Amino acid sequence: MKTATGIIRALNSGVKHLAVKRFTLRYPEEKLEFVGDGYQFDPSTGVGIAGLKGRHMLFHDHCTGCQLCSIACEGVAEAIGMVKVPEEQKQNKKSIMPQIDYGKCVFCGLCVDACPFYALYMTNDYELSSFSKEGLIYTPAQLAVKPYVRQDSSIQITERGATHG
Amino acid sequence: MITTATTDTPTATTAAAPPAPAAAAAASAAPELPPGLALQKVDERIMTLNVGPQHPGSGHMRIIVQIDGDHIVACDPDPGYVHRGEEKMAEYRNYITNIPHLERPVIHDSCNILYPYVLGVEELLGIETPERAKYVRVIAAELNRCIYTMYWLAIYGIFLGHSTMFMWPAGDRELLIDLMEKMTGARVTHAHFVPGGVRNDLPPNFEDVCLRQVNYFEKRIKEYADIFYDNPILISRTRETGVLSRQDAIRLGTTGSVLRASGVDYDVRKKEPYDVYDELDVNTNVMTAGDSYARSRVPWLDMMESCNIIRSALEKIPKSGSVRVKLKPNPKGGNDTVYKRVESGRGALGCYIVSDGKPEPYRVKMSVGSFRNLIALPYLLKGEKLGNMPAVYWSLNYWPVEADR
Repeated sequence: MKTATGIIRALNSGVKHLAVKRFTLRYPEEKLEFVGDGYQFDPSTGVGIAGLKGRHMLFHDHCTGCQLCSIACEGVAEAIGMVKVPEEQKQNKKSIMPQIDYGKCVFCGLCVDACPFYALYMTNDYELSSFSKEGLIYTPAQLAVKPYVRQDSSIQITERGATHG
Repeated sequence: MITTATTDTPTATTAAAPPAPAAAAAASAAPELPPGLALQKVDERIMTLNVGPQHPGSGHMRIIVQIDGDHIVACDPDPGYVHRGEEKMAEYRNYITNIPHLERPVIHDSCNILYPYVLGVEELLGIETPERAKYVRVIAAELNRCIYTMYWLAIYGIFLGHSTMFMWPAGDRELLIDLMEKMTGARVTHAHFVPGGVRNDLPPNFEDVCLRQVNYFEKRIKEYADIFYDNPILISRTRETGVLSRQDAIRLGTTGSVLRASGVDYDVRKKEPYDVYDELDVNTNVMTAGDSYARSRVPWLDMMESCNIIRSALEKIPKSGSVRVKLKPNPKGGNDTVYKRVESGRGALGCYIVSDGKPEPYRVKMSVGSFRNLIALPYLLKGEKLGNMPAVYWSLNYWPVEADR
């Protein structure tokens, strides 16, 4: 008897969920919203600013080619290499800037922590698929483009349960 | 072991003897084996079964089971398929660049596996962590513990053929993963803890969002009682299977939820509080049965306790203040050793660091709960039916990658 009531209670618990709205997210159409514009770092206080650790963004007018990001990545993923850029910036005498291989990057953000000139940030862009290995190598020119992201879905909690909306 | 090993390698004297016809006939009957190999006599009734390493249930490890009909007579767990040499790698990287790879063994519980390392490095370098950072760390660690336990619970459900119990925890985990994503910027492998605090401060309005989602999460996991924990079908499969007595649990050196399910009230958060756990109210859940059911129920009760800890930490957290101490670029430790221990999702997790005054540690040794719980498996499976093996094996709260490191 106890077994029968137990099974009925278990079934009832599952059946109740037929009336509950779906919690899952329809991914390519809906995308989760994140706080801020991505992970950033303030070298004056030594504390980061919360945000998603996605694709990097490089500010050419701040980068001095000091290679600190490349050195920070050496023990982690060796994803950052310094390459020559054609343009001439007055703070960048050697005209070298980081190039990031997203086939190797682990998105830890230690390169952002290493940059003392506010030149390297991370953005909310996480869709980085490519058909070739070379397509994952982002040159300084590609890193300078601010990604277009449309992320507006967040978790809503009501009396009847949680949904993404 | 039922089977007996006999060495049939020819000795030096027989090899040196002149080739007589009788000796040649004997040599052809017994095959010549290369040195170091031995023949094993096999019982007719006993069958050896390899579960894994590719079996989705065993999870990158092999369990060599010897069965007599449907009953297990001996069992030999064989871990090591996902050994990555994390400890050796740590000797070639400095204290900061060690962080992203040391959390790889358990990506769901990455804050907790990094916790003892970070505490140890802080003691080596003599850093005083700000108060707010300690609270942020505790919140992150408790959220991570819940995320890990939900994943473990989902797999335990599918091991027992309970598909609903796979879907529900995997979905409700999303509530906490969303919080971790807002807090650290990554869904798994957060790389959030550093010596001297945490990488970034909490985002604005985080306390309200966290409280709302944790409350809803707790309401959801309480619903698991009807469908899973009080379900007679689950109870009939897990109760009184793989019983580990209190004495055996202590003698085998098990830890975490396995130890608490056998009636030993031991939790590192309570017995040796680190960071701000001594200011928070930590209650442990202890069950005395020591069977698979108790071992699967204790982590579930622990998750509710984690929700309480998160709520009280959110109340007590200082509203302002720094969360990170500025370090020199390549910090060096003195000639010193340090051992720190925390409670992870799988039990006590220790980290032993030896420093010789260089920017890189001389040695990093991690003592993990998974490996210590695995030792109990051969004792628990002896005499069980083969069908009960998944229920016993996964109730040990074992994570193959963490055990191999």
